[in-house]
Amino acid sequence: MKDVIVKFDPQNRSLMERLFEPPAIGKMAPFTKVVVYSFLAIWSFFVLFPIYWVIITSFKDAAAVNQGPNFIPFIDFQPTLDAWRINFTADPYCDIASIARQIYLLAHNSVIFVLSPFVSLQPMEPQICKIYLAFTNSVVISIISTIFCVAVGSMAAYALARIQYKPKFGNIMIFVLLILAVTLMTTYSGIPWWMSSAVALALFFFLARSIGRHFKMSLGNGDILFWMISQRILPPIVVVVPLYVMFQAVGLLDTHLALILLYAVANLPIVVWLMHDFFANLPIELEESAQLDGATRFGIFWEIVMPLTRPGLAATTLLILVLNWNEYLFAVFLATVKVQTMPIMVAAKNTGEKGVLWWEMCAVTVVMIIPVIIMSILLTRFISKGVLLGAVKG
Amino acid sequence: MQKPVPQNTKDIQPGNSPAGISSGDKWREWCDRHAGSFFIAPAVTLILIFAIFPTIYSMVFALSRVRFTGDGLKFRYVGFRNFAKQFFGSSEMHFLGRTEPVSILGMIIFAVIVVTVLWWLYRSWKTATWVRMLGRSISAAMAIFLGWILCASLLSGNSIGTLYTTLFYVLFGCAVQFAIGTGLAFLCSQPIRGRNFFRVLFFIPLMVTPLGVGFAMRMIADVTKGPFEPILGLLGLQDWVWSASPWSARFVMVICDSWQWIPFIFICMLAALENVPRDHVEAAQVDGASSFHIFRDVTWPQVVPVAVTVLLIRAIEAFKIMDLPNIMTGGGPGSSTESMTLHSVYVWRANDLGSSAAIAYLLLILTVVVCASFFNYVVLSQIRKA
Amino acid sequence: MTGNRTKASVRFDGVQKSFGTVKVLEEFNLEVQPGEFLVLLGASGSGKTTALRILSGLEVPSAGQVYIGERDVTQVLPKYRDISMVFQSYALYPHKTVAENIGFPLKVKKMPKAAMEAAILDAAKQVQLETLLDRYPRELSGGQRQRVALARAIIRRPSVFLMDEPLSNLDAKLRGHMRAELKHMQATLGITTIYVTHDQIEAMTLANRVAVLEKGVLQQLAPPSEIYNNPANLFVAQFIGSPAMNVIHGSLEGASFLTNGAKVETKVKGQIPKAVAGVRPEDCAVTDLGKGSINGQIFTTELIGDHTLVTVNWGNDQIVVKAHKDFDGKQGDGVGVQLPADNLYIFNETSGERIR
Repeated sequence: MKDVIVKFDPQNRSLMERLFEPPAIGKMAPFTKVVVYSFLAIWSFFVLFPIYWVIITSFKDAAAVNQGPNFIPFIDFQPTLDAWRINFTADPYCDIASIARQIYLLAHNSVIFVLSPFVSLQPMEPQICKIYLAFTNSVVISIISTIFCVAVGSMAAYALARIQYKPKFGNIMIFVLLILAVTLMTTYSGIPWWMSSAVALALFFFLARSIGRHFKMSLGNGDILFWMISQRILPPIVVVVPLYVMFQAVGLLDTHLALILLYAVANLPIVVWLMHDFFANLPIELEESAQLDGATRFGIFWEIVMPLTRPGLAATTLLILVLNWNEYLFAVFLATVKVQTMPIMVAAKNTGEKGVLWWEMCAVTVVMIIPVIIMSILLTRFISKGVLLGAVKG
Repeated sequence: MQKPVPQNTKDIQPGNSPAGISSGDKWREWCDRHAGSFFIAPAVTLILIFAIFPTIYSMVFALSRVRFTGDGLKFRYVGFRNFAKQFFGSSEMHFLGRTEPVSILGMIIFAVIVVTVLWWLYRSWKTATWVRMLGRSISAAMAIFLGWILCASLLSGNSIGTLYTTLFYVLFGCAVQFAIGTGLAFLCSQPIRGRNFFRVLFFIPLMVTPLGVGFAMRMIADVTKGPFEPILGLLGLQDWVWSASPWSARFVMVICDSWQWIPFIFICMLAALENVPRDHVEAAQVDGASSFHIFRDVTWPQVVPVAVTVLLIRAIEAFKIMDLPNIMTGGGPGSSTESMTLHSVYVWRANDLGSSAAIAYLLLILTVVVCASFFNYVVLSQIRKA
Repeated sequence: MTGNRTKASVRFDGVQKSFGTVKVLEEFNLEVQPGEFLVLLGASGSGKTTALRILSGLEVPSAGQVYIGERDVTQVLPKYRDISMVFQSYALYPHKTVAENIGFPLKVKKMPKAAMEAAILDAAKQVQLETLLDRYPRELSGGQRQRVALARAIIRRPSVFLMDEPLSNLDAKLRGHMRAELKHMQATLGITTIYVTHDQIEAMTLANRVAVLEKGVLQQLAPPSEIYNNPANLFVAQFIGSPAMNVIHGSLEGASFLTNGAKVETKVKGQIPKAVAGVRPEDCAVTDLGKGSINGQIFTTELIGDHTLVTVNWGNDQIVVKAHKDFDGKQGDGVGVQLPADNLYIFNETSGERIR
């Protein structure tokens, strides 16, 4: 073992040692430095190139796109604003006056949306600036859906972290059987869905009270949590067709409300998973002391617990916002005329009679992905503070 | 009877509060006592209405022949015919691929698979409970079935259908993404400058709309107008169109999917690598271990639980792939890049709702069995070790 | 297996360390004799852990040199310094058994398996762990984990041992037991040891010499008895000793210390308007009111068992006196305190320097 020490001489390092041995703790050997930085540079290029390509294509015209690849603006081709004009200002309904009117309509409709059970909706004008429509639809639906999803998910996650649930297994079985019965009834016999649902619900409560008392086996919080989180495994394609039928029966097809609810449910498992981790890691003494002081559950949740999880909440909200913004499958099945979102609009550009007009599509794509890129930069700052790691480890 | 509002601390003396509570308080107290239900009810209701119920309803679709009539949909119960169609009937080629003739190589490998699975099953017979045995039997059955399809179609030189295309995307895609993602995370965990810059930069592709990614990749992969045209010319491949051959199309799908999903693995693995306690690494450094030795013996074992969890999450998402093949190749050539979700969508567009639901259900079963098996046999054992 | 190894000396030569703009270690000069047990004592943030890490090679000094034996090891990687280190958190690899943990340094050096196993068994015997070799760290108690870390450190017979607060995670009783074990082991093996701690009892009991650090500056380097009886400045005087030395504010005039109207004789002379007198609780005594050097009111009394601690109010200061266990004074009583000149230390209040 002495040999190891004698051989090493810090003053006279051989060339091999100089290249391959790190000079000190916390530094890399020169050879390692070269390898590491070159791989990182290669990957950075790989990441940025498609985005770069999309951006410059939005500034090309038909000739520049169709006559082979043109890489650098001003050198290979002359950038133009054609695509942007076609999408924005050339659209007859994109002038300031129309947009002002549409903003007014949006505010008006939002108010009516809130009052919708009591008042019927006033339809938006059918001829409006398409990209504006798609953009505001995306913004409205994403934001409302995110708030709704995070609110519902946080409450459920908090409850699962602090309150003990013991649903009886037998009751759950009864419930599932009743769902089955309702489905079959509605499909094969002529009974309207609301009637069979109401009867089934009443039947469930009655059975749960009477027979349910005798069931012994019950599930715990862990099972409920697992059930909620595992909903993510469900491929959306399984549910879109029935949802289409359901929404059509209720008259909610092609409405904002439908998409908001769906997006919320699709991302609920993620919110529950992440927020449960945050809540479970908070010291319980804070809440116990508040309980002794007489606060209600909701008071504790709103005043004490939520502020403490602000960074985690912010990170989760950003993540869900991005996911909602990107959502396409549900939108394309359930809403195509009035409630176009950005992804649908981009996809609609796909069917041009003269072949795809790539430059136009890229312009719209740029509008679609810029907000997301900004949100992702914000999100990364949260992640680098280790905010979301705890959830993955669990 | 109103509760007197305390005016100052002297009023809040022990024994000073009135015994009775007003009706407003009674209502508030009832709410608080049932707070558990109120908190969880919205989430449960939403999931029941929009996830559980449609799933069950979808089964009704899958078991029926559905037709659009004047006043809505008409269902006719046909049992498992829609399912059978995928395995034995008119959709067999589309779904499973060509499964005959089976070559000798295919037979041999299938035999090996069956023997391994049965031996594993036998070995667990002694140590497992009934429930666990049931789970293992399901996993074993799925393994043998998938093995048969693999051997009969791919290994016998025949074409594969959407089932195996999906599995290819999942298995091969996840492997590639995991390897590259972990490699990048390892590079970024070295003492480099600008680690946060790279983290921000590398994260972006994950959040870009998959639809946008699809179109961008389609443009870039265009062999005549895209940026690769000069490179292909240099290599003498001017006339090669990747979208003409099934396997090259599938590979291109995996590459494009990886562009979007490698960041996910990268971020999670980087966080895991950064969270290995510094003490352990320093102790190993003082004891004289080389960097490679430290990574293999100290860092990696502590990162494995996170790694398998990340892999599981990625696999769950990977089964749902749809946007990319739809946009880049429309499922083609033929149906060779169709994932099962896409297959279901196309069948739905052809107005066969029953088959569409059946295929969706088959995807659900495949996802659940594969992911649950992976979770039970790999993830749990790793987490238990930690 | 004590073996005949050359014990190495350790020398810090003008070592400085800054993290960004924060200077953690200033002009640190220290020489450790071969086979010596040196304790670096200080509060958190004093720079003691930084000094240890610089010696281990896990940090590089901003200026100065470090020598192990005759070699300048300032820029040398840890693995070439022939040292081993026990971390505060023990740093046991959770996925390896106790035996694999202990044998890790040898595995790195690619020792043949049979020899390695013999060495592991020997090291385990020295810390009484030979029955636990197949367990995993998570199955062990705190004291057992600490011994695994120790065994891993001694197995290689390095030239220098480094220990970073190894006993701070143990409960009080176990700590006392491990202190004795550590001292015995170091004496048997005779390896030069640098030990970092904030606990002055550990410093007093274990060290051949103590180096007291505060804010990156070495305050005093001396054997424990000297640190206790002859502190170089106010900081050292107050840091060592439990209960802490009393401080009385006042001024030094000639050969007397004037405080709050009382005049106490001192052995040192000087003219210091703002001075502090220090006296240890066991060096002063309580007497009847009026008979002591100073007279004040009892703030509280605490019966320890074999003695009573009496806290006396004096102006803005409080003086703790060790009294007989049957002392019967009560809160509020007047009492006198004798401050013998022999055991009175005088310090300059502003600089903290001891007046000799």
